[in-house]
Amino acid sequence: MSPQQQKAKSRAASPLRAWLFPGVVLIAYAVLLTVLPGKTVTALKSSGNILARMALPLGLVFIVMVLMDLFLQPGKITKFLGEKAGIKGLLLSAAAGIISIGPIYAWYPLLKDLREKGASNSLMAVFLCNRSVKPFLLPVMVSYFGWIYVLFLTFFTILGAIAVGISVGTLTKE
Amino acid sequence: MRKGRTEEPLKILVPAEGPELSAGVSDRFGTSPWLLTIDAETMSFETRRNPGASGQKGAGMQAVAFAIGENIAAVLTGYCSPIVEKYLTENGIAVVKGIGGTAADAVSQFKKGPPEPQLLESRKTALLKAFTRAFRQFSRMLPMIGGIILIIGLFNAFVPKKFLRAFFPGGMGWDTLSGALAGSFFAGNPINSYIIGGGLLAQGVSLFGVTAFMVAWVSVGWVQLPAEIGALGSRFAIARNVLSLIMAMGVALLTVIVPGVLLGGGF
Repeated sequence: MSPQQQKAKSRAASPLRAWLFPGVVLIAYAVLLTVLPGKTVTALKSSGNILARMALPLGLVFIVMVLMDLFLQPGKITKFLGEKAGIKGLLLSAAAGIISIGPIYAWYPLLKDLREKGASNSLMAVFLCNRSVKPFLLPVMVSYFGWIYVLFLTFFTILGAIAVGISVGTLTKE
Repeated sequence: MRKGRTEEPLKILVPAEGPELSAGVSDRFGTSPWLLTIDAETMSFETRRNPGASGQKGAGMQAVAFAIGENIAAVLTGYCSPIVEKYLTENGIAVVKGIGGTAADAVSQFKKGPPEPQLLESRKTALLKAFTRAFRQFSRMLPMIGGIILIIGLFNAFVPKKFLRAFFPGGMGWDTLSGALAGSFFAGNPINSYIIGGGLLAQGVSLFGVTAFMVAWVSVGWVQLPAEIGALGSRFAIARNVLSLIMAMGVALLTVIVPGVLLGGGF
């Protein structure tokens, strides 16, 4: 099989793979329903409660995702990672990490190239660590933990990410 | 690198077979031998050897990174993959495929205007495209979210609270350490960590443990470590992940303690 065919096959299989985990859980439910129906119904009710609680925040998540896709271009901001502009570079790297979306491995080639162009290790680390802050997912987090908690967590995460970035830069200095 | 001029109001990137304007436009954007950055107004240009010319994995992405970094307005090419095209257009770079002839001809043709309707169309459909992309991304998240919600239901109904006590005994230090270690071995969308964190909180796990778990989920990735080492080197990847694990614990402690001190009372 050619590499192209293998790629096509893996692409075709990926939607199925996404359903593998929920599928296995559903099978577990079906088995448990026959063995321990009472407890399984309790489990279903508990899941239903969680789902009901998340419906509105998930709707907000979708709206914020559309707006971010429309107005923000993380790739453009990453070019500032190449700047040696002190605080400005740190803040822009943090901003790029915060608005970046998609799996981390999709960003590795871009980061590798930026690094070859002279971007510092500190800014790379700041970018990667700030991926913990996800504005479009905040509605879900707020629904669980409240605004005050989320504000403090976001603030300390950004601060912590910058501290990690500076430390990584110092530790990996040639 | 050879330089033409430095002022460029409208930069066009053309993958080419040679380092001259008379060189033919290459069929492949990612693996062409040369990349020409041409000023559409003055036709002055800069040349660069294409970092992906050897055709290794990720070649297209290196050319994409170059285009973004150089603030390119449009790429004129014989062909580029849909993924490369997606990354370029998402970053505001127009892509015109099916271009032949010399690099100079391609830019002259571009200046005459045929791509304009395409640019106009892309503006008109920007909202629809944003909606479609968000929907695709959102729908990819849903199966996993559904599975996690169902498994938390099972967890709530079947797993006794004393089981969790073995991992999260309740002390500030142990809970924070356990949460950070557990989170660092998982990967995936952060939303899943919030749902699991909410479930753990409902089961009586302290906010120290839950917070450390959620922060480490995204910022530390032992599973992705080989990929990070491959891209950015072992020294960087190991230092970043170890320090991020420590950061996850520090952030958890500060997030829970500081509001309690400042606002009086905890969460």
